[in-house]
Order: sequence, then C-alpha cells, then structure tokens
Amino acid sequence: MAPEDTCTAEPYRAYGAELKETRPYSPCRAACPAHTDVEAYVGLIAQGKYTEAFEVITSVNPIASVCSMICHHPCEQSCRRCGVDEPLAVRHLKRFAIEKSKDYRRAKRKLVKKTKGKSVGIIGSGPSGLTAARDLADLGYSVTLYEKHPVLGGMLAAAIPPYRLPREVLKEDIDDVISKGVEVKTNFEIGRDAKLDDLAKKHDAVLVAIGLSQSRSLNIPGVDGPGVLLAIPYLEDVAFGRKPDLGKSVLVIGGGNVAMDVARSARRLGVEKVEMVCLENEQEIPAWKWEVDEAVEEAIKINYRWGPKAVVRENGKVVGLEVTKVLSVFDANKRFAPTFDTNTTTVLKAETIIITIGQMSNLAFLKDSPVKVDERGRVEWNPATQMSSAKNVFVAGEVVTGPGSAIAAVANGRRAALAMHLYIQGETIEGRLPAQEKEKIAQMPSEVVEKISKQPRMKIKHLAPEVRVKTMDHFEMGYSEAEALEEAGRCRGCGGGAVVDQKKCMACLTCMRVCPYGAPVVTSVSEIRPEYCQACGLCAPECPAQAISMVSYDVREIRNTLPTIIGKVDADRQEPVIAALMCTHHAKVIGVPNNVKAIPVHCTSRIDILDMLKAFESGADGVAIIRCGSGTCKYRDIEPRVNARVKRVQDLLGMLKIESNRLEILSATSDNGGNPYSAICADFSERVKKLGLRARK
Amino acid sequence: MIVGSQKPIEEIWNMVKDFKKVLVFGCNTCVAICHAGGEKEAETIAALIRMKASQEGKQMTVNHLGVMRHCEPEYFEPVIDEVKKYDLVLSTACGVGVNFLSDRTGTVPVYPGINTSFYGAVEAPGVFKELCAGCGDCIVHMTGGICPVARCAKTLMNGPCGGTNKGKCEISKDVDCAWYLIVERMTKLGTLDKLSAIIPPRNWSTARDGGPRRISMEHIREFEEKEAAKTETAGGKR
Repeated sequence: MAPEDTCTAEPYRAYGAELKETRPYSPCRAACPAHTDVEAYVGLIAQGKYTEAFEVITSVNPIASVCSMICHHPCEQSCRRCGVDEPLAVRHLKRFAIEKSKDYRRAKRKLVKKTKGKSVGIIGSGPSGLTAARDLADLGYSVTLYEKHPVLGGMLAAAIPPYRLPREVLKEDIDDVISKGVEVKTNFEIGRDAKLDDLAKKHDAVLVAIGLSQSRSLNIPGVDGPGVLLAIPYLEDVAFGRKPDLGKSVLVIGGGNVAMDVARSARRLGVEKVEMVCLENEQEIPAWKWEVDEAVEEAIKINYRWGPKAVVRENGKVVGLEVTKVLSVFDANKRFAPTFDTNTTTVLKAETIIITIGQMSNLAFLKDSPVKVDERGRVEWNPATQMSSAKNVFVAGEVVTGPGSAIAAVANGRRAALAMHLYIQGETIEGRLPAQEKEKIAQMPSEVVEKISKQPRMKIKHLAPEVRVKTMDHFEMGYSEAEALEEAGRCRGCGGGAVVDQKKCMACLTCMRVCPYGAPVVTSVSEIRPEYCQACGLCAPECPAQAISMVSYDVREIRNTLPTIIGKVDADRQEPVIAALMCTHHAKVIGVPNNVKAIPVHCTSRIDILDMLKAFESGADGVAIIRCGSGTCKYRDIEPRVNARVKRVQDLLGMLKIESNRLEILSATSDNGGNPYSAICADFSERVKKLGLRARK
Repeated sequence: MIVGSQKPIEEIWNMVKDFKKVLVFGCNTCVAICHAGGEKEAETIAALIRMKASQEGKQMTVNHLGVMRHCEPEYFEPVIDEVKKYDLVLSTACGVGVNFLSDRTGTVPVYPGINTSFYGAVEAPGVFKELCAGCGDCIVHMTGGICPVARCAKTLMNGPCGGTNKGKCEISKDVDCAWYLIVERMTKLGTLDKLSAIIPPRNWSTARDGGPRRISMEHIREFEEKEAAKTETAGGKR
C-alpha cells in the first residue's frame, strides 16, 4: 500500500509537449478520445526509454494498463501507415512499455499532499470515476471513491472477462490511483447506503460516474423463467469466478462487443456449442472485426440477420429461440429501424439463452434528488460544464455519454475532474474545458507515400483457439523487447517533425534542397509542411542559420549530453575512449565494449557536425558514426548527406592536426543475429588505439 | 549576395589565442547562405577554437551567437550588451559587418572570422560564383547581361583579348572568357551588331578608385531626422 512519504504531483511533460499544443495533432493522437501523445511515447519506446513512455501514456490515462489490453485503439485505425502498408501496433507497444515499467510505477507510488482543503466524492470506480479520482487527487483534493462492488474498477472488474483483462493488470492501475491517498468505500451502493443529497452535502463536489450497469431485456414470450440470463449478471458471475450453470449449449442474443464477451466466456466455461444471433449481417455487426474473427476461431457460430421472436420452452425448460428473418436493420437515414420477413422463421436450439442487447443505468437513487432525469430516463447534463441540474453534482462517463469505449470514459472523466476543480475554486467552467475535437495533420500526399518503404507490422501471437478456450486466462502474448523496438521503429513520427523559427530563417533554400520528401516550401521564409514531413531530422543540422528545430526532440541534445556521457577522461587510460553515435532504430540491442560510450540516435540523419566536434572536444580518442545495417533505414537519401558531414569534420580535424581517421562512418552488422555493434566497435577501437591516445595539455 | 569563406583555423587561432573570453558572432544573411559565417558556422568555429585551446593548454571561454544581420544596428542592438561582455568578438559576418559592429562595441575589439570574397550567386548548391564587382556604373545592358568588369580577368571594355581560348580565359581553363560569353549571348539575343560600337574608357571614380563610397537617400534621411527631433522635444528617446 501507499508509502508514508508524500509528494506534490507534477505532471511529466515530454520534450515538445507545449509546442505540439499549438500545432495540428498527429492523426493517432487526434483519434484518441484522451488525446494520448502516441507519437511521443512510441518514439520513446524506439529509444529504449520505456519509463518515459509510461509517463507520457499515463499523463492522460490512469487506466493505461487496462487500455493496453482492451482498448479498441482508434489511434491505429487512423494511423497514416495504413496508406503505406499496415497501421502501427500502438496498443501492443503500449502494453510493452507499461509492462517494462512495472517496478518503476510501483516505486513511484506516493501519497499526494492534500493541499486544497476540499473534498470530492466520486460515485462509481469505472474508467471515468478512477480517472477523475486520480486527477483530483493530483490537484490536492481529498477524494473518496464509492463503489457498489466489493472491488474497484466498475465494469472492468465486474464484467470484462479475465481472458481479455487479467485482474492483476487492472490492479496495477487501481493501485496507482489509490496510492495517492484516495479513500475507498467498496460495497457502497448509492441510494442504499447513502442518499445522493447526503454525499453532496458531505463533499464540496460529487461526481456521478455509475456507468451502465444494468442489462436491457427483451419483451418476447417465454423470456421469463430459468434458462434465460441477462448479460451483466452473467458476466459478473464470470468475473467473480462463480460458475453459472449453462447446460450444454448457449445462444447469445446480440452482436456487440459485450455479446462477444458473453459468448467467448461461455466457451471458456466449458460449453461446447455456443452460438450467437444478431439482427445485423457480417458488415453491419457492431462488434469489432477482430472480436468477430477471434470468436469464429473459437468455434462460435454467428447467426446473422435473425431477430428474436420467442423463447421456446418444453416443460418450462429452454430448448431454443424462435427467430424471424431480418430484411434490413437500418432505414434510408441509417437509423436503427429493423424490418422482418414474418413468414420466415426458424428455431435456434439452445439450453441457455443470454440476452446482450444493450445496457442502461440504474437511476433509482435520483428519485427525490435535485438531479433531473429527462423524459427518456437519462440524466440531464451540460456537456460544456459536465454538470447535472444540481449545483455541485457533476456527471461523467457512460451514464451520460451512452455506451462507448473505456478510453472515451477516461477522457470524459478528465473533463469532469477539471470542471469540478474549476467549480470548487469558484471559476467559470464554460469555455475552459479542452476541446474534444482536435485539428489533425492532413493525409500523407501520394508522392510521399511512394517514398516510404514498406515494413510489415510485427505480428502478435495468440494462444491457439483450442488451447485458449480451456481457461479464462489471457490469451494474447505481448511483444519481446526486440519485437517492440522493431515495431516502434515503424512509426513515421507524424506531427513530430521540423519547425522553422521564422525570426531566424533567411530563406536560403537549404532545407528545400535537403529534404527527401519535399516538405519545405520557401517563400519569404521556409515553411515545413507537417503532412509531408517524416521527422527524419535531416534538415536541422544542415540549416546555416540554425533556424530549424524538431517538435519531437531537442536538436542540441546530443552535443549537450556528450560531455556527461564521455565523462572525465583518465590521463592514464590504457584503452582509447570511443564515442559511438549509433542508429539504434533497427538494431534491437544496445550493447558495446566498455571503453565505448554509446550515444543512441534515432537516425544518423540527426547527427550534426557540431555533435561530432563535441565528442572530440569532450576528449574522445575516436568517434564512430554507426548507421543501421544496409537497406534497413526507414528514411531515404540519408547516407550521402551524413557522409558529407563526416567528410567536413574530417577536414576540420585535419586543420587541428588531429588524424582524420579518428572519425569513421560504420555500418551496423545486421545479419549475424548477435549484437550488431560489438564487433565493429571493437575493431574501430583497435584502429584508434594504433593511432595513439590523444594527449591534452 | 556577399560571398565569403572561412579563414583557416591556424590564422584564427593566432588572432584569438591571447584573449580569455571570445564570442564568435555569426551573421544569418549573405554569409549564412554561403555556409561561411551564419550561426551554424559560428558555433563550428567556436568549437574548433575550444579544441585548439585545449590542445595548446590555454584556458579560454569561447561562445557563439548569431543575429540576422550585422550591417543594420537594429539587428544586433538587442544583444549588444551581451556582446560587450567578451574580450574579443570574432565576427563571421562579411567585412561590412565586421566594420559596422567594430564601431559599436566600445572597447571590445572585433576581428574577422571569414574572408569576404565577392558578390556572387549560388551557381549550384555549395558553388558560389562572382558576377558583379560593385563598380558603381553598370553597363551590362550593352554586353548581353554579362559583366566584363567582374568576369573578365582584365576588365576589358572591348574584348576579347588574345588570351581567349576556346571559350576559356588564359588565366585558367576553369574560368570562362567573359567576352566569349558576351558574343555567344548577344548572338542569341540578335543584338551582336551593338558590339560594333566602341565602349568608351570608364570613369572609375564611381568604383573603389574614387575613394570610399556613401549613398544618402535625402528624402528618407530628412524624414528620419525630423522624426528624431520630434521625439527628442517630446522628452523621449528613440
């Protein structure tokens, strides 16, 4: 549990975070409801900076471990690599970074100082409630989290089957939140254990984040009685390890993602024959395609375009469902308005029927409370303030937004937390909550797409269907480090590219001549078009006015950190000090001999002549520029420019009477399967040793 | 634009070695375009000086800075106090910038980090070619747009001379004969007959031979002086 010491939570800011806010978002980030900076954290993963990646992810999303398992990843669907080959495997990379940061996150759990002297109550500990609890705790509020189940997590704990979300993963996220000093009241049901009014009086502000915890049922003959179950109570049984008696065959009514959870968990409870029935056809089915595919792999049959008519019972026992043929599901305006061919019916046999056709909130506790409910039974709220009709009662998540994703609930929870903070501080809320839609950079032009080399997505392994249906265990294997580094290297870094300081640019055309992708347009000054820019970084070191910086990294970082990396050079050293500026992008391992100081770079394109000079200035006896193995560079036209830079520095070294062959450009060996740097670094070190160690006066 | 090239580090070292605190000061216009003295090259030269100092066992602080132009005071005025904190300013601007700045740094000397070479154009990336000599009396309308003052080794007004050789100048096979180019160009333009007129001897007083030159745009100067006077009477300071 929470350690004794406390901290003031300072949010982590990745390099360029402020600048990014002023520019169009990368499409992945714009697509994420929480606007997770995907480009930043994938870039950090590619550099082996896993805990920094964890910070970027969790800065906007406290249930990042959960999302790394179950997110529907709209970031991937909008990835600009889709136009080239396949989208980046963002979710798998997220999972990798988080798993790598397990010790780090546990070590940093600390109580947050309650500096505000105000308290908030949060009803419901699902994605939006947990998020609001985290954000408000970080702001210094006393937070109490009320949860009706014996454990925190809302539907994450009580409904999502463990094969999709292992509970130890959820626990990591929850532990992060409660370690901040959040008070937890489980087995606490609003309306039963306290009135909303009481909580509203007790706290300075209350958040209703109760989600949609009730299943909708069907009004058809035979539905009442044993053998017909509702999804949520069934899933709660599964989640809490109770084993519902399902008989030998199950029919699931519904075609959404929850229906998939129901059907697939039924298979895992030992039911051989699991079928689904839905109104939609294969194109219309609302469940994610991968859910459908994985269900089919698990021998689940989906009966498309049938509508439930009556539960068929023999001696009270369910034997099947009578269904009617569906003609269409949506009308001309794409509204849900199913039509049926009432003459065509059949009976789908099953011993248990589970109804999974949607969910709603239990709003009974709002009776006689100042929080108004509209004529359709929904909580009245103002999305611009996240407020209900009662003055200090706020709302967030699916209870008001309707069914959606966990990450959308996180985003809504964040808005609500900010709104509550503003309210308690007596500030205006309207107009202060961040825009939910963000401008994003445009599609990659076709002439740029043509210049991008194809690199297939790193596949993720699943347990074989016949194996995975035998247990409730998680079935998706994560990436190895090598796989994750390779996959992270596929990211094009959209939105992280070059920016011109217009006060410095004198329109010399250098960037335009250098750029392999035609990104700069030079008129009175240069403007680098973000939809073209691939963030390779080739231009910045070439700019004679030093007017180009990069959004995603500090162009001076290498030379600023080199003196520290090289450290004090021992005058009595036996081995030469070698600085190796190495492209680690495809290398998968970082490991060199002891006397070699490794400076990983994203691409040699980013190495400035000033970086090479700094290495010598800092006392290196030899400097190696190591590019990735031949043919693996994800950018183009890099080599000649880097060669020219090396040649220039060799000339300058000559002017200082330093042997020019103390600087070499080398290629990582990519075919021996081992460390691609060891041998070449050792050989180079030997060559430098023969030249002698540099003396300093 | 003005084209320059960096001085060898040995020459720079001899200029700077006796100073403790040196600022290499770049100019981000002409000499940046020719990769000789922009902020980037200023930082490069600063690094080389530090490395040389280390080799020689000298304790020295060497920093760099850059502004858009050294030839207009508004550009460097915001940093002039910073500049004056150094013992020496090594300017990598053209000679214009070095002179101009030198008058404005009080007791801090300003030395040249580059050689100012000529007025030239970017023939190809990294290739700069002299095309004008700033003689103060342009006549290229009579020579097919090609300047014999800058581009003929002898500055002949009525060429070519006997040294022309298959389009090249006798001084080097890498130098075009300007008069060969003039004839080619005027043939193409259909104006070759104009060359039969003799260009009279030049009055070189408009060029360097007439002494240092100064151009004063009276209408602008008078206006600015009036404005300055107004501000002074109002008790302000420009």
